[in-house]
Amino acid sequence: MSVDAELETWRREWQSEAAVPLDLRRRIERQSRWMRIMIAADILVTIVIGGGAIALAVLAPQRDFLVLAAATWLFLAAAWAFRLSSSRGLWAPAAKDTAAFVDLLVRRCRAKLAATAFGAALYACEMAFCLGWIYRHAAVKTPLAEWLLFGSASIDVVWAITLAFFGLLVWYRRRKRAELEWLRSLNYS
Amino acid sequence: MKSFMETDAAAADAGLFAALDRATLEQEFDRLLAANGPALARLAATYTNMPSDRDDLLQEIALAVWQALRRFRGECSARTFLFRIAHNRAIAHLARSRTHRAAAVEVANVHDPAPDPESGLAREQTTQRLRGAIQRLPLIYRQVIMLALEDLEYGEIAQVLGITESNVGARLSRARQLLRDLLESGT
Repeated sequence: MSVDAELETWRREWQSEAAVPLDLRRRIERQSRWMRIMIAADILVTIVIGGGAIALAVLAPQRDFLVLAAATWLFLAAAWAFRLSSSRGLWAPAAKDTAAFVDLLVRRCRAKLAATAFGAALYACEMAFCLGWIYRHAAVKTPLAEWLLFGSASIDVVWAITLAFFGLLVWYRRRKRAELEWLRSLNYS
Repeated sequence: MKSFMETDAAAADAGLFAALDRATLEQEFDRLLAANGPALARLAATYTNMPSDRDDLLQEIALAVWQALRRFRGECSARTFLFRIAHNRAIAHLARSRTHRAAAVEVANVHDPAPDPESGLAREQTTQRLRGAIQRLPLIYRQVIMLALEDLEYGEIAQVLGITESNVGARLSRARQLLRDLLESGT
């Protein structure tokens, strides 16, 4: 190999190492840290809520509490099935270049958007079940529609939390959509 | 007004960027760093292979470039100006971290935790081998070969390192010989 050809080969190898911009790497690392924290939080919620529902069914083995425990575990199972399927392949980039890092950020962004839609649907199902369960278990005499709208201060709190939850979801979705647009504008994928 | 990246020595006047407002200066700064980001990262990697240390060095270089930008008078190309600052910062960084070297060696040998997919593995290994060999060169040869691999001309390398062009030629020749030996020995 001639001297110039040798230098040219080294030059190509040297410059082929595409450095990933610092802010992208930090963003990925920050997100990964959050993903680990969220998994730990989900495990904790599963143990507390799922365990609590089972404990309740064991301590008071009535039909209502058995139904509550079964439904609780059904919702938990649905949430975990979604979480595991949607987080597949989101832990690390496929390569060490900028395009792969941007691609990972795009996939994480899409997964979060899907998670908000799933979260909204799951929350609606859980609310419907919980309110129905309470109405039946407490043997409320007021008609259901009236109870749901003006039943008690507790019901008002439930609606306030629901409104806040959906408001937060809308805000979060807008943020993620803007982030997705920005990532697409980088034209790496 | 011409962009900083298009500036050449002939077009440059004394205090070329001194009169720019902050917003324009920031734009030129961003453009300069974006255009040379990969090269700066490679430069930083020749001085340290600890990811956190490399990031610190890159931040220091960016800060130093920002501080020096108003003083840029256009006597050389923007790239030469950038590399000169980067090398000065890297040397200062190296001198400062020398005291911590003993503790850092073990960490420095840990491979980057990012994954190595099979598709890019061969290329990755070749690049790693080259980078590893360059890192083992004595500093004066490491600097000159790194700048040559970044496509800088002899004159530009001389300006960056503050040595004569003939000195660049001599160092580069020796650096290539040493690099060839290291790559062949595979150590």
